[in-house]
Parts: sequence; C-alpha cells; structure tokens
Amino acid sequence: MPEPLIDQKFLERLERLTLHWQKSFPGLVGGHNASRYSGAGQEFLDHRGFHQGDDLRAVNWRAYMRLEKLILKLFQVEPRVPVRILLDTSASMTTGEPSKFDFGRKLAAALTYVGLVRLETILLQPFDSALHDPITCGGGRHRFRPVVNYLEELQPTGPSNFAQALRQFIAEYPQRGLVILISDFLDERECEKPLQYLADFGHEVFLIHLWGEDDRRPPYNGELEIEDAETGQSVKLNFDDEARAAYVEAFDNYARSIRDLAMRKGGRYIGVSTATSIEQAIFGSFVEARSA
Amino acid sequence: MFFFNLSLAEFTALFAAVSGTVLALYLLDRSRRKIRVATMRFWKPSEKPPEAKHRRRIQQPWSMLLQILGMGLLLAAIAQLRLGSPDRSSRDHVLLLDTSAWTAAKADPRRRLIDEAKIHAFRWLRALPGSDRVMLVRADALPTPATVFESNRAAVEQAILQSQPGASALNLSAAFDFARRMQRQHGQGAGEIVFAGAGRTKQNELPDNAALPPSLRLLPVLEPTRNVGIRSFHLRRSARDAQLWEIFVAVRNYGRVPEAVPLLVTFGNAPIGSSRLTIGPGAEETARFEFRTKSAGWMEARIQLRDGLAEDNTALLEIPEQKQVRVAVFTRQPELLRSLLAANPRIAAAFSAPETYKPDTDADIVILDRFHPAQPPPKPTLWIAPPAEGSPVALAKSSGSTRLTRWRTEHPIAQGLRTLDLKLEGAELFAPSPAIEPVAEAEGGVLVAAQSASRSVFLGVHPGLGAMKYELAAPLLMANILEWMAPEALGRWEVDGESVGSIKVAIAPHTDPASIQVIGDDQQPLPFSIADNTLQFYSAARGNVRVRTPAGETVYSLSLPDVGDTPWEAPARVRRGLGRIAGASSPVQDLWPWLALAGAGLLLAEWFLFGRLRLPVANLPSPVALLQRFTAVFRRTS
Repeated sequence: MPEPLIDQKFLERLERLTLHWQKSFPGLVGGHNASRYSGAGQEFLDHRGFHQGDDLRAVNWRAYMRLEKLILKLFQVEPRVPVRILLDTSASMTTGEPSKFDFGRKLAAALTYVGLVRLETILLQPFDSALHDPITCGGGRHRFRPVVNYLEELQPTGPSNFAQALRQFIAEYPQRGLVILISDFLDERECEKPLQYLADFGHEVFLIHLWGEDDRRPPYNGELEIEDAETGQSVKLNFDDEARAAYVEAFDNYARSIRDLAMRKGGRYIGVSTATSIEQAIFGSFVEARSA
Repeated sequence: MFFFNLSLAEFTALFAAVSGTVLALYLLDRSRRKIRVATMRFWKPSEKPPEAKHRRRIQQPWSMLLQILGMGLLLAAIAQLRLGSPDRSSRDHVLLLDTSAWTAAKADPRRRLIDEAKIHAFRWLRALPGSDRVMLVRADALPTPATVFESNRAAVEQAILQSQPGASALNLSAAFDFARRMQRQHGQGAGEIVFAGAGRTKQNELPDNAALPPSLRLLPVLEPTRNVGIRSFHLRRSARDAQLWEIFVAVRNYGRVPEAVPLLVTFGNAPIGSSRLTIGPGAEETARFEFRTKSAGWMEARIQLRDGLAEDNTALLEIPEQKQVRVAVFTRQPELLRSLLAANPRIAAAFSAPETYKPDTDADIVILDRFHPAQPPPKPTLWIAPPAEGSPVALAKSSGSTRLTRWRTEHPIAQGLRTLDLKLEGAELFAPSPAIEPVAEAEGGVLVAAQSASRSVFLGVHPGLGAMKYELAAPLLMANILEWMAPEALGRWEVDGESVGSIKVAIAPHTDPASIQVIGDDQQPLPFSIADNTLQFYSAARGNVRVRTPAGETVYSLSLPDVGDTPWEAPARVRRGLGRIAGASSPVQDLWPWLALAGAGLLLAEWFLFGRLRLPVANLPSPVALLQRFTAVFRRTS
C-alpha cells in the first residue's frame, strides 16, 4: 500500500494557518482588508435609497413597512483574490532522495488545504515546458480529496521551460492574484526573466525553491560521468573538494538571485531542502517568511 | 572446520579467481562513476588533471571489501563449509540385526527383543556421519542382506522396520563372516560391524572370540531371564499295536533357575496326557505318552507356563489316518500262510479257495498260492510257486532240489535277509530276464523275483513248506514283500515336530539316494545330502517336510522356533552401546544456510551503499531517524 500523500494529523495542524498576500490587485479587494465596495456579500455595510434596476431582494422590507420608502441594504464584498499554485513537474524534480517532486506535491497539497479551510478558490497548475491540465477547487475542506487524487496521479516528465510555461500562464490567467511557484528553478535556459515578467504582470509571486542535498552539495569524488535528468546529455569530469566548493558557491549564488528577484518584485522566497520534513518546512520556513 | 565439497586448495583457488573477477569488475565499474543530476549548470571540472593511474586505484575500498567478502561467503556456502573433524572418507558399515526366533521373546511385556534391537539400530544409524553407507543384514541361521551399502538412511530405516523375527536360531559366526566378506568385497572404506540383538546362538555356532572383527560394536538388548520351550515333539506308531501312538515331548529350560513345567498333550482339544517336569537350568527333559487312535487329527503339546518366548510353548502335529491292508489269499492250504500274515497287525487277510477267484477282488494285495488264474488280478500280487503252465514269469527249471546261494540285498525285499546254503526241495526257479528283478538266487536260476511295474513278487518256494518253514528268513521275507507291495500302509510312519533349520535323519546303510525323496509343503523336492548314513536337509521356513525312504516315511512338522541354547559372551574389548562413533565424535554442523544468508546480506548492503542505487553514506538517515520512520509506518499500517 503506497504511503498517503498527507496524513490526517498534519491536516489538523494546518487548519490553524491562513494564506496571506500583501498586494492589492486591480479590480479586486484583496488581502484581508474590508472591501470599500458593496456587493454580494454576507456582512451588512450600509443603506441607500432604491433606484431603478436595483435588486429587489436587497430591499429592506421592514423599513418600507415602517417608513413607506424603498430602502436598499448594502453588503460588504468578500475578497476573492485568486490563489494559483504552479507545481514544477519536469524531470529534474525527480533527482535526489527524497524526490523533490514528492516533496513539492506534499507542499502543494498542504497549501491547498490551508486555502480550502479559509474558503479560498485554489488553482493547482502543473507545468514543465508547458502548462498541463489544472484542477480548481474551493468551497471548504471537504473538497480536498479530489486534489489529493489529482496530485497522486501526477507524473514528472519532460524538460522544463519557464519562459514558455509562464508566458502561457500569463495569457491564460489575466486576472492577477497570488501565484505560489513550487520548483527547483533549474532550467537550462534562464528562468529569472520569466519570473520577473510574471511579477511585473501584477501577480504576487511566492517562490518555493526546492533542492536536495545532492543538488546543493554533491558528495561524490573522483572521475564522474554526470547525466542531465532532463536532456540526457552527459559530461565526464573530475570532481574533488575544490570543485565541490565552487559548485556550492554557484548554487548558492543562483538561489540568492532567485530570492533577490522575488523580494525585489514584492514577492516572497523560501528555500527548502528535501532533507527537512514537510511539517518543519510549513511551520518553520513558511511561518518565518510571513513574519519576515 | 572443513569443506564437504571442496578441498582447501580448491576452495582457495576458486576464492582467488572470484576475488580477481570481482576486483576487475569493480575497477571497470568504478573507474568512472555515472551520476544522474538535475542540472549541469553548476558542475565545473576540477582544475587538477586526473592522474593516469587513478583508474587503477580502489576508490571505495569498503565497497570492494564487502563484495569480496560476500562472494567468499557464498562460495563457502556452495562448498558446504562444515564445523567438525574433516573426515572425508566415506565408510561402509554392516549392521547385523538379530532376527532369530529368540528375538520374538519379551523381556518387557510391551516390547519384543527385536523391537529393542531396532531402537538401538535406529539410534546408531542416526549418530553416523551422513556420508557413510550402511548395509543391513538380517541375521538368523543364514545371514541375509536386506539392503546394499546404502547412504540413503530412509531406505535402511525402512528395511529395519520391516525386519521380523524368523524361525531359526542365530548363527553368529556365519553372520560375522558374512559381514567381513561384504566389507571386503563391496566396501570402499571398512567401517564398523554392528550387531544389534540378543546374541543367543548354538554352541557349535559361537564365534571365535579371538578372531572377532576389530571394528565390532555390540548393541545388546536385555533378555528375559525365564524361558522354557518344547524342543521336539515326536510321534511314532507302536510296533506292537497299530493303533497305538508313542508320543515323546522334549522340553528344555533355557533359564538360569530350575523350573517346574506343566506339560499337556491334547488330541482334538481333548487332553490325552499331562505331566509336570522339573527341569534344571540349561537341561532338557523328555516326557513319554501313549495314545491309541486310528483316526486322523491334530495333536498338540503345550507348556502351561508364562515365560519370555511364547512361540515355543506349543507344538502341533497332524496324525494321519490309520489304514489296514486287505489281503485276499487264494489257497487250498490257508494254515500255511495264516501265521505269516497274522504277524502284522495292520494286515487283514481273507482266505478263499482258488475256485472262488475273481479278477476284481476287493483287496489291496492278492496272494495266489500255487494257483494260476485265467485272468491275472490287476493289483499287486504275490505269486507263490506258480504252476509251470501259464506262469507269468518264464521258468528256468522245476528242480526237485536246489540250494539258496545269494540274496540281492540292494533290493528292499532282501534287506535284512542273510540265510544262505539252504537246501530247498521242490522249488521253482525263474529264468533271468529284464522284466524281473532278482531278489534271491539259487543254483540254476532266480528263486525270488520282483516286478516293480506291476508291484508283483514271484516266489519259487512256498515260505510255509519245506526248509523255509523253519527259517527266520520266511516271516522276514514275507514282511518285506508286503511292505514293498503296500508301502503307504505298512511302511514305517513317524511324525516329528521339530524346529526349522538343519534336520538330520538316520537312514539304512546302502540306501540308494535315488529312492529318497524330501518334499516340502509345496510338493517341491528339497535339496539334501547323505553322509555316513545320515540324510541332512535344511528348511528355514515353517511347514511340513516329508522324507520318504525305502524304509518308510517320516513327516517333519517344522513348527517350533529354533532357539539358540547358548548366550554369547563377548570379550570386554568389544565396544558396546553407541559410545564414540568415528566421524561422529564432534557433531558436524552445516553452516551453508547461514553463510549464504550472510553473503547475500553483504552483497545487498554493498548494493545499497555503493551500487546502482547510489545511496551515499553521507545521506543515509541516522539510526534514530530510521527508527522513527519505521515506527511511523507501523502506526499507519496498524
């Protein structure tokens, strides 16, 4: 019997959390500020006189009985900022132990659950070199099971192409919102620019950078033949402590550049090693990132 | 510690070859390690150029060591490494299992001696090294191999289980000789000769203690201390009364204390005699009874005593029907023959005048006294002085006086007759011819002749007239003639209850071996030998054996078990019990399953740590983390 993607105890702990975003999105009252506009909501906002074309269901009939005037009730609009989770399903996510892909799926499931508990509408969008069929969920925690089934059936394939995938994303989802991007950000091409475009488009980006310990600090020595998981290309080289130090430095520089990009664009960045547990990542790194 | 399949040199050579192969494969495999990575973006080759000899260096000595160790353990498992003494030579043992009649005795009410012997044999068999071969020989009067030299223990155990007490006594000397011969002829490496049983044998079949096999081992059993048995049961017709049977029962005390033995003889379950015999230890007593009957039936002798062996407490004999021979005598002078015929009580003679003769006379024997019928009787006939005209045998002459010169003693009719130089008046002499067998000769011809084909006898002289009347030869000649003509009824008839084995019968001197028959229950002749007027035959099975000689017939009812009368006392130097068995002194332990497991485990560990799985040691979770993971999995599954 395969290990369940996420267990019940962990879900119960997740119910205390909330997804936060910092930006105000045009056309929407987002965040957790009360809306200045009236509309279809639950919370009472104000009264005004009835005008032709107003919804008769909003007429305060008690006031009419008493004052013989048609007075309309106004309600506070609830924020409906779209939350979209982009999950990298390229082949590079399969390297390392435990697999970054599995770790990413668990993270995506946990964040979706947090959103569902707060009645958010979540879009879960896998991608590698292009977008794949997404799943949209909302309406409460009891809608979580289809998400789990969907994630369990995902398979990592193909090379990653951030430029192409994010261009497609911007085109398909013009409404701005919170974009949580779970990836190792390893693209043979450049991935900084597409991320910058995404942020510039108006989305609030939340970059979750996953890596395995092997990815950051390869433990190997001697003559190696390395093979790229995505392209299949192989290179023979000699690897020693000095080369390892250079590798680690290059990796850290790259991670730092991703982080700087996110911060510069008003987003957030979290680097997570797959050696840490999923609980530790959520309740440690994620919570710290919010307070930061 | 030793290798069951390989010598040390073979194992070392193999191990070196395997180690070399593993090293070569290792160097080939590990010369450049293949790694699958997420990106090649950060990989930069080292500034230092790789050294040329680098490829020939062992980069992961622990991996190499684990592989060689694992392969070595697997090789040791294949070679069946064992702990124990390196006894490489397979030995051949002979297991002599006592199956004599005595092993049916019980020292313990629940168990026979042979059952005890089987238990000892099983224990010895299971203590043997697995490579040794065993031949099972069932030892009684004749040692009989039940298996060949067999390394399959199940087959030997099956043969042991199927062994049952026989009817004959143990011939221990022959058993040891047979075992030695088998080891010499078929054995590869002579092992032990093991005797399991009681060892009770006959005095003349005791082995020579000085020439015992050096590798002899005894697995003795506890014998019963008390046993009394019937040794022989003999019935004989009384010479003076045809219907009287003389019964002799010989009883032996095999125990060490005197016994008062109640003996009972029954005929058709009706008691006909009883006796109480007091028999000393090792002694034999004979009881005699008489019983009158002319009917057939079963006669049984029974000892009413509870002892070790029940089989020799009863003997059973079949008594044949008593027949009388009817003799029809046609004579004008019956008084001349009446006394001669009355001498034998089994003859019923009827005298008639020659005129009353009929060819179909109802009789077993016909006597024609100086009378020649127109149609001879189709039965055994005694012709006394047949008339010259119409004589069935050609006459040489009818002399007024002649002299008896010779008895042909090789003929049964002439046996025991010595009278010579007898002057006979008015005797008729027959001409010698191939049709007749001369029995007595006189001057000028044959005086007494016989014809076997028709069972007829021709007397040239009347036994009740002239000089013959006063000679002892006359009644003897008459008795011999009648016995020869009706041997079934008038021959000597004895019934002997004996034990199986070798039987000796005294026969008359100069008896023609061709005239002797020894016939078994299945009417098939048994082989026999004759030496010093003693006929000897052997029967290992219970049943009846008939010995027919010209003098009569003796029926041997071989129903009694042949119990050895002498317990064998083995010298003190002979090993007893299981003790120390060569090759099995240190218990041999098979290690190959553990070696195979350890080898496979090491190879698996190497594969996990250094192999294709490429689980770096640095990335291995700590034991505590592993434990936590296992606990979590266990909780989920439960």
